[in-house]
Amino acid sequence: MTDEAEARLPEQHPGEPEPEAAPAPARRWRRWSTLAPSLLSAVLLLASTLLTVLTAGLHDSPAAGNKALTDTAATDRVTGEIRSALGRILSYSPDSLAATERDAKTLLRGQAAKEYDALLASVRQRVTDQGLTLTTQVVRIGVSHLSGDTARLLAFLDQTTRRDGEKATAVPAQLSVTAELDGGHWRITKLKAR
Amino acid sequence: MFMARVKRINPLLAVALTLAVLTAGFAAWSGWTWYAAADDESLAFAKTRDEVLAAGEQGVQNLNTLDHRELRRGMETWEKSTTGDLRDQLREGRPEFEKQVRNARTVTKAKVLSGAVTELDERAGRARVMVALRITVDAPKEKAVTKESRMLGALTRTDDGWKLSDLGQAPVGDTGPSAGE
Repeated sequence: MTDEAEARLPEQHPGEPEPEAAPAPARRWRRWSTLAPSLLSAVLLLASTLLTVLTAGLHDSPAAGNKALTDTAATDRVTGEIRSALGRILSYSPDSLAATERDAKTLLRGQAAKEYDALLASVRQRVTDQGLTLTTQVVRIGVSHLSGDTARLLAFLDQTTRRDGEKATAVPAQLSVTAELDGGHWRITKLKAR
Repeated sequence: MFMARVKRINPLLAVALTLAVLTAGFAAWSGWTWYAAADDESLAFAKTRDEVLAAGEQGVQNLNTLDHRELRRGMETWEKSTTGDLRDQLREGRPEFEKQVRNARTVTKAKVLSGAVTELDERAGRARVMVALRITVDAPKEKAVTKESRMLGALTRTDDGWKLSDLGQAPVGDTGPSAGE
C-alpha cells in the first residue's frame, strides 16, 4: 500500500525535482520490469489464441475435407471407375442381361443394389420378349465431394432404348451417385435420378 | 545475505518473465502452423473450388429464373451473374428477349439439384461446372410445366468474383442441344 502511494508520487509531480527523485526511476523500473513482460504475455497469448482459432478454421472448413479436384489422382480414379460402372450396369440386351446382372452384383452395394434388383425385375420380361436394348453412355461426370472412402458424384447420361425393329432414341438422364471405396474399388451405394 | 537475495529476485518478475517466454513460444508455434495452413496450396485450391461451385450454381439458377413482372430486376441479375461473351450475348439479345417474355407473361423458376466442378485452372482463372436443375415455367392460362435440365457452364474469375462466361444445355448424343430447350 505505502509502496504504491510512494510510486504514484513522482507521477503526480512529474516535473518537480524532489529529493526522492533519485530512487523513483529504480522503483519505476521495478514496476515496469514486471508489467512489461506481463503485458507482452497478454498480447502474445491473445495473438496466439487468435492464430490457433484461425488455423483451426482453415483446417476444419468444409473445403479442406473435400478432396474433389484437389487430389487429382483420386478424383480421376473415382470418376473413371464410376463412369465405367454406370455404363455397364445401365446397359443391357437380351444377350447380355446375365452379364449385366453379374456386373451389378459386384459394382452395387446396399440401397443401390436393392433398387437395381427391383428395376431389373420389372424390365426383364420386356428385354427377352420385345428384344429391348438399353445403352447408357456417361457424357459428363464430376465429383461433388470426395473424402477418404466415400464420394458423391453427378453424372449426365445419354440413354438409348431400342426395341426389335424400332428406331433408337436417346434421352438425357441425370444421376446423383454415392460411392464407397471397398477393397480398393469404388462401389455404388446410392443412385438418385436428378 | 539471504534476505538481500530474496529481495533482489522479484518473484513477480520471475513469473512474468517465464510467462512471457512461454507465450512467445506458443505464439511462434501458432504463427507457424497458421502460416503453414494459410500457405497450403491445396487448401487454397479447395476453397477456390467451393467458391466456383457456389458461383456456378447460383449463376445457373439466376439465368434460369425470370419473372415477367420484374423483368428489369431479373435482367440485372443476369448481367451481374455473367461476364465476357455470355454477358455480351445477353445484352445483345435483351430487347428482343424482354419483348418475348413480356408477351408470354411467363414466370420461370429454377432449383439446383446437384452440381460439380469438373475443371479448375486457378492461375488462368477459368473453371467448368456441370449442374442438374429443375425448371418450372408458369404461363397464364396454362398448367405450370416442370422439367429437369442439365447444364454445362464455364466460369471466369473477375474482380467481382467468379462469373459465368458460357452456359448451355449438355447436349444429348450428336444431335445438338436437347429437345428441352
